[in-house]
Amino acid sequence: MKANTLRALWKRHRGMSISLPGFLLAAYVLLALAAPLIAPQNPYDPLQIYGWEASSPPGTMGGPGYFYLLGTDGLGRDILSTILYGLRISLVVSITSTVVAALIGLTAGVSAAYFGRWVDVVIMRIVDLQLSLPTILVALIAIVTLGPGIDRIILAIIIVQWATYARVIRGVALSETGKPYLDAARLLRLPTRRVLFRHLLPNSIAPAITLIPIELGHAVALEATLSFLGLGVPVDKPSLGSTVANGFQYLMTGQYWISLFPGLALFGLIASINFVGEGVRRSLDPRSRSV
Amino acid sequence: MTLHSTQEPLLVVSNLTLTYRATAGLTTILRDVSLSLQRGEILGVIGESGAGKSSLGNAILGLLSPDFERTTGTILFDGKPLDGNNERQWDTIRGRRISAIFQDHTASLDPLMAIGPQLEETILATKDTMSRRQARDEAIQLLTRVGIPDLDQRYHHYPHQFSGGQRQRAVIAIALAGRPDIIIADEPTSALDATVQKQILYLLRELVEETNVSIILVTHDMGVVSEITDSVIVMRHGEIVEQGPTSSLLDAPQRTYTRSLLAAVPRLRVSGAGERKERTEHLNDPPLYSGSAEPGASPILVAQGITKCFSGRRFALLRKRTQTAALQDVCVQLDRGLITGIVGESGSGKSTIGRIIAGLETAGGGKIEIDDTCFDPSRSGSRSGLLGKVQMIFQDPAMSLNPRMSISESLRESVRFGAAMAKDELSIVGTMMDRLGLARSLLPRYPHQLSGGQKQRICIARALLAGPSIIVADEPTSALDVSVQAEIVQLLKETVRERGISMLFISHDLALVQELCSSIYIFKDGRVEDAGSSEFIFTHSQNPYTRSLIDARPRRFTH
Repeated sequence: MKANTLRALWKRHRGMSISLPGFLLAAYVLLALAAPLIAPQNPYDPLQIYGWEASSPPGTMGGPGYFYLLGTDGLGRDILSTILYGLRISLVVSITSTVVAALIGLTAGVSAAYFGRWVDVVIMRIVDLQLSLPTILVALIAIVTLGPGIDRIILAIIIVQWATYARVIRGVALSETGKPYLDAARLLRLPTRRVLFRHLLPNSIAPAITLIPIELGHAVALEATLSFLGLGVPVDKPSLGSTVANGFQYLMTGQYWISLFPGLALFGLIASINFVGEGVRRSLDPRSRSV
Repeated sequence: MTLHSTQEPLLVVSNLTLTYRATAGLTTILRDVSLSLQRGEILGVIGESGAGKSSLGNAILGLLSPDFERTTGTILFDGKPLDGNNERQWDTIRGRRISAIFQDHTASLDPLMAIGPQLEETILATKDTMSRRQARDEAIQLLTRVGIPDLDQRYHHYPHQFSGGQRQRAVIAIALAGRPDIIIADEPTSALDATVQKQILYLLRELVEETNVSIILVTHDMGVVSEITDSVIVMRHGEIVEQGPTSSLLDAPQRTYTRSLLAAVPRLRVSGAGERKERTEHLNDPPLYSGSAEPGASPILVAQGITKCFSGRRFALLRKRTQTAALQDVCVQLDRGLITGIVGESGSGKSTIGRIIAGLETAGGGKIEIDDTCFDPSRSGSRSGLLGKVQMIFQDPAMSLNPRMSISESLRESVRFGAAMAKDELSIVGTMMDRLGLARSLLPRYPHQLSGGQKQRICIARALLAGPSIIVADEPTSALDVSVQAEIVQLLKETVRERGISMLFISHDLALVQELCSSIYIFKDGRVEDAGSSEFIFTHSQNPYTRSLIDARPRRFTH
């Protein structure tokens, strides 16, 4: 089933020229993967950082042979390197949380639709409550109660996002449950797990798949926001968001580069994810399939 | 309306060829189609699905999507050519001189606008000089004409407050609003019950006689054609197979295809001694299975006193529950090794009783006994153990198979979980495929790659592979073409005889039920209105409702 959907995606894209957002996103992923190889310094290694070269403007030639293309931050870390390493953390956090949130949300939504009655009521009221609270508030409460750390921030994003998947897939699955092929499955007394994951889920998953890239963009932004507020990843492992936050206090004194370049990198990442997501949505929308 | 000389046809289509541009390439939808339509004539266009009959209607209406291309041919309307691309010309013709009635009466009406104003709007759109008051008078006149009663109140009722037949009457009124010369009616009665269908056809006939309008009636139903058309075109694969006056074409068809189409129509036999002999012969056919009991000796399933209410919450805030009785004290008995029929119109509860027997729905009360084991239908099927005792074949084969599972996966699932056999699923599936006349090469395919008839055979295979003793078939042939329908009916008959399965056959078609079933229940408004052996129902029953159902059948296909 998923193989089919993926094949459809592949077919659509094969004939097309590679889009700019797609290229940009691929470049981001490659840069993140190759960060230890190409970054001028390792910003997590105190031995490679020279505190006396803190807040150097872009283009400064450093003492120990570094060329600070984008300048250094308040601790003397090379901005280019912090961006590359921060990218790794941002992507790991957002991708992991999106995948897990999708799995939880889809299972919950399909179960709600299939079992109906009190299961449906319980799951969907939780979803309603979840969606009626501002996302950032839910994430903040989660972080404050769970404490900081990369795994906690992933958990917080999952808590925020699963509800959207559940809401979307429940509606689709509900309209599928009325179809005779599911009656036939019930007449065979198939195990519930099989009905849910072999019959109901594959036939209701299409709208949720288009949701994944969009939610991925949200996850990146949410992680950056939390890190910016100082509730995200630890200070010694800066993600893009916390790098922006690091430079915030220096903006007033004209040291724009500490916040600006990580901010631009973040902008480009979220924008490319959103554009690629829009492309995926379009190629999966049956109404736009005609030629 | 000006009168023309009868020699000059109102509409002439000559050598029309249409192609459809798809990603896969060009497909020819219509090939070299020619026809002419006189004023006041009803022309039937009949064919099975994919014959191009609806495309022909849409071409005349100028409603084809841009993917269609007219490669050759002309359409002359009242002496002037109709150009497919000239929108301005269409504005003066469509809805005014050529109008349309479609199958789906619900989708044809604006659900948020009352019937009267909706018709008024159409009248005002077609006549620029008319005032609102005049339009309203005309609307009332039209609605009266098509037979909608109590207009004082009904005028401001919304489409959902009307029955299906009345909605289709309103659609006809709207089609008449511009005083058209031609009405294209695309399956106008297919979504309606038999008795209502007959009334609508009579209405169309009357309108033709009164206003001299011409009708092109696109349909798949030979019965409809035989009732009211003057001449017929038989289409297949985009080509005209045969055309001519209705009576001569139906009495003496020239082409084999027309003949096979006519032969496939199930015929209702109301009386006749020879007929009765044939039926008894059929009943005395020796059963091929080696069961312990004689067919019909003892009932395999008895359902007693089944009731069912649907409660709808009208006002969410007030929590006022309205109860609609879907079934009231229904008793049904299934004969062992035979087919029992349930006939009824839509909303009669015939599908509901089928689903309750299969354990898919709960009943309000009553009891079901299968082979001396008692089940409580008011508990959910999986709790009471009823679920799984009975397999079902559903109406729409396109929705009865999981679209994301291959045929092989679907059928093997049935063997594995239904019959609880672990060994050699594939060979069991293969043998079943051979038996039902399905090529084994279909196994790796997905449902959308199969035709409707093939899909329904797969559904029958799936039901049989689970090894049930009872099968409920809920309108299994209604979504299929007549010729395919005949094959499936034959297949069901053979299956029941060979395997000693007992079947509950639910249908709205009396002729089908007569052909298949030994005993028949007639349902009306959630009650058993009439019941008895097939012979009793069709020849002796004095029940007025039963008689009206039999009378609603087209006479040509009743003996």
